Formats: sequence, C-alpha cells, structure tokens
Amino acid sequence: MLTFLYKLIVGPFYARNAGTFLVIILLAFGFLSAREHKALITAALGSPFLLMLVFVLWGLYTLKTIAYVRQELAAPEHLFLQTFWLVPTTKRWVLWVAAQLALLAPIIAYGGWMIQIAATYRKWDSLGAIASWLFVLVGVGVTAVDYRLRHPNPEGLRLPGVTLRLPYVVFFPIHWLRYEPLSLVLTKVFSGLLLAGVCRLYPTDDYDARLLLIGLLLAILGHSQVGRQLSEFEHRYLLLLPNLPLSWRQRFGRYVVIYGLIWLPELLILLRNCPTNVSIYYVVWLWLTGWGWLLLMHSLAYGRSIIADRWLSGIFVAFIGGLLLIMFGLPIGAWFSIGWLTAAAYWFVGQRSLRVTEK
Amino acid sequence: MLTVTNLVKAYAGRTVLAVPSLVLSTGFHYFRGGNGSGKTTFFRTVAGLLPFSGAILLDDQFDINRDPVPYRLRVNYAEAEPLYPNFLTARDLAEFVGQAKQASSDQIHQLADLLGVQKFWTQTTGTYSSGMLKKLSLLLALLGRPRLVLLDEPLTTLDVATAASLFAYLRQLNATEGVSFLLTSHQDIALTGLPMTSTWQVGDGVIVPAD
Repeated sequence: MLTFLYKLIVGPFYARNAGTFLVIILLAFGFLSAREHKALITAALGSPFLLMLVFVLWGLYTLKTIAYVRQELAAPEHLFLQTFWLVPTTKRWVLWVAAQLALLAPIIAYGGWMIQIAATYRKWDSLGAIASWLFVLVGVGVTAVDYRLRHPNPEGLRLPGVTLRLPYVVFFPIHWLRYEPLSLVLTKVFSGLLLAGVCRLYPTDDYDARLLLIGLLLAILGHSQVGRQLSEFEHRYLLLLPNLPLSWRQRFGRYVVIYGLIWLPELLILLRNCPTNVSIYYVVWLWLTGWGWLLLMHSLAYGRSIIADRWLSGIFVAFIGGLLLIMFGLPIGAWFSIGWLTAAAYWFVGQRSLRVTEK
Repeated sequence: MLTVTNLVKAYAGRTVLAVPSLVLSTGFHYFRGGNGSGKTTFFRTVAGLLPFSGAILLDDQFDINRDPVPYRLRVNYAEAEPLYPNFLTARDLAEFVGQAKQASSDQIHQLADLLGVQKFWTQTTGTYSSGMLKKLSLLLALLGRPRLVLLDEPLTTLDVATAASLFAYLRQLNATEGVSFLLTSHQDIALTGLPMTSTWQVGDGVIVPAD
C-alpha cells in the first residue's frame, strides 16, 4: 500500500515540481558553495531570528505539500482513495507518516545537515528546536491530510454573491482563488513584495531604471507557472473551448483581459510605491510591459505539454538573459514592444500549429 | 454534408484513427464500437477539439482548418462525460457559449425549458448530478444555428422524459432546418426513435459501414 501511495502522490508531486526543485538547487547550490552553506547554518544556529526564518520557509514548503495531497484527494479521478479510510487508523497513520516523510525529504535532509552541525558545535537548544519543528511539520502534514480523507468534498472558499453572472474572463481567476489559493497567494506576495521592495530601494542610493526593470523581470518570472495552470484548467473543465467559433484575435483578446485582471494588483503596488524621482508614466509603462510579457509566457505555455523542469530551466535561462540585457541598457520601450508583439505573434502561430500538428 | 478525407489522428506518433474517406449526407448517423474504439476521438476531431492531419469539409464549403470560425459556428459537440468548473452555474456557461455561438436569449431559455435545465439554472454545477450535467452539455451543444451536432452517448444518465423531449426536438431540427446529427451509444439506439440514415462501425483504428 505504501508503494501505491508513493506512486499516486509522492512521485507525481516531485514530477510536477521537478522544475521548481531544479531552480532552487541551481540558485541555492549554484551561487553558494558548501562552505557558505555551512557558514549560513552556523549563523542560523546562533540566531533565533535566522532560525525562525528557516522554520517559516520549511513551513511554507510543508503547506505546499499538504495543499497538493488534499487537492489530489479531492480530485474526481482519485475518488477510489476514499477506501483508504477503511484501513485501521494506526496503520493508516503510519502510511501517512511514511508518505509525509517522503514529501518533506528535501527539508528533512537539510534539517539533518543542520542537526549534524549543531551537534558538532554543541548547540543543543537549536538542535532540539530543529528536530522538534521537523516533528511538528510531519505531524501537521499527517493530521491535515488524514482530516481531508475523513472529511471529503469540502466546501470551497465561499465567495459573496455566487448568483452573480460570471463572465468567462473571471473563470480562471476564481478557480485559482478557490482551488489553488496557496499558489495565488505565494505568486502575488512574491511579485508584490519584489516590486514594492525595488521601488523603496530606488531612492536609497544612486540607482537607475535598471533596478526597477530587474524587479519587474523577477515579478514576471514569479508568474511563470500561471500559463500552465490556466491551460490545465481550461483543458480539464472547458473542453468545449476549442469548438467555439472564436478567431485567434478574439481568443487572444480574452486572455489579455484575464492577465490584466491577474496583473492588476501590481499596478496598484507600483502606483502606491512609485519613487518620488520616477515619473508616474514610467511605472505605468513598467506595468504595461509586465502585462505583455505575462501574455508572452501564456502564449508559450498554452496548450503545450512542456516538461516542467524544461520549462523552468528555460525560465532560469530567461532570467540570466534578461538580466544581461537590462544591465546592457535595453530600454523599457523595447521590452514593451518585444513582449506584446511576440506574445501576439506566437499566439497566432501557436493556434495554427495546434490545429494541425500531425503531418 | 460532411466530407472527411485522409484523416489521421495519432497520439505520440501512434495512429489511433485513420479515415481515408468518409462522406455523410444530411440526416442521423450512428457510430458504434466498443470502449476505446475511437468514437470519441473521431467526434472530438470533427468538433475541432483535437489536432489531426487530413481534411474535414462541412457542406462542401467550410474547411475545419481554413475556415476555423465559420466551421465551428456550424458544428457543435456534446461530450459523453461533461465536466465543468464547479463554481459556475448553467446560466454562466450557457451565456458564454451562447454568445460565442450567436444564440439568442430566447433560444437559450427555450432549450433550458425543453431539457429541464431551467430548474437548476442558477445552481452551481458542483451540486449537479451526472444527469443534470448531461442536460447542460446537451443544451450547450444545441445553441446557435448548427448544421451538424455531435452527440457522444446522449442516452447515458438522461431520464426517459427528457430523452423523449430531446429526440423529438432533434427530429424537428432535422426536418425543418436540415440539421444533421452524429451519435454514439452503448444503449439500444432504437430507444431514441430517430430514423438512422446510416450506421458505422468504429474499431481497430478505422470506420467502416456497419452491416
């Protein structure tokens, strides 16, 4: 039965997030050597604040694993998993613990390294805190997923006025809010904090517009998974979409509105935090540019089954390439034009090739 | 009415359906075959949901790839096992599809009455039974002014009274507007009471006339 759980939940979790792990490994171990990691760990062991930061990160990762398992338990194709409830409680909990340990393997491995260093430096309080926190995370994970198993078909997040007419352009944003809220919150918090951060950093030194562009680049890349999520949502629940008599312009226009809604909070953040020595028109340009690039990522991802790690490797390369172009001074107008024109052109070409692909 | 030429549908390089030539006249056409024989793949391909190689021509005029919008305006499809976002209502979906298919508000409400969808018009689809979902999918497939409607397993989960109303309406559409229908069913197709123009056997990746 454990093999079954691994095959159904643990394996797909790592397969789906392979790209994310790859990027994290590239960022964490590409830029930092083992010696620097040890220095960071040593610092964290001596600082309750830094240790707490590590705990928060682990907590967010655990939340992600919990959300994933609960989502899989609620999926119609996994309805048969309800029979798992019939397994005696003790045995079921042991199985959940094994599955949760596998899901939390990355943080348990890193935690184990921290514990080993804590033992070397005789930091018993930090060692105890790390071990306890890992136990808590496993316990919370097991409790949360077992609760979902025993309480299937939860009520979705209730939104006011469900009897309101919902136009097509809000279908995906509502789905994202209701069924993948963690992904939504993490994406928007990451993007919002980045943009607010660079805006506030700007007046503190002799920075130029490149700083704002770097913030924008990272905020856009933070949305890199949205195109795939939207594509999966429509492929699964709106199978009839390709049958609708809509031209490529009409379809593209609808996605322009959808991404405009998704990207709208960033406009408010940019306007609210606009540095005093930067024109308001410039931050609006920034926002419009980001909108175009979100659409470009959508055009690249929509309707295509791209292996997750390949997609995220591409995003990583795009980050490096984008960074270089920004540092070489590519102006905002060029970014704006490239984003919007390529998004529309790629969508047009992609729609045609998706209709006839098997020559 | 429908001309299919050199259609090849493949998944990951493996051909699952090959139709060198298939010509269907106006009327009711029944496609039968075992599970996984390719009926749904064929229907989805004709509906423009799946990429393929070859040509599909409607009324000797509208090519599925050359005229994607006019073709899709005239070809509708009802899935065998419909699934919709569970926070949407029948009204949300009907208005969205109806707008795209250029259906009038009167037609939407007339169909909702005919199929009994009016009773759960503003309920979210998450609360629907499989029969209610089926009724909604049939409603969406009849919106606008289609020339061809593809009905994948229309009998499944549909109650007897609604089925009777539906098939009477289909007969009327065929008689008055010349609308054609392609149907699949694992139930006895005679239950529909529809006068079948032709019957086709789907299997082993081909479609041949049934005996």
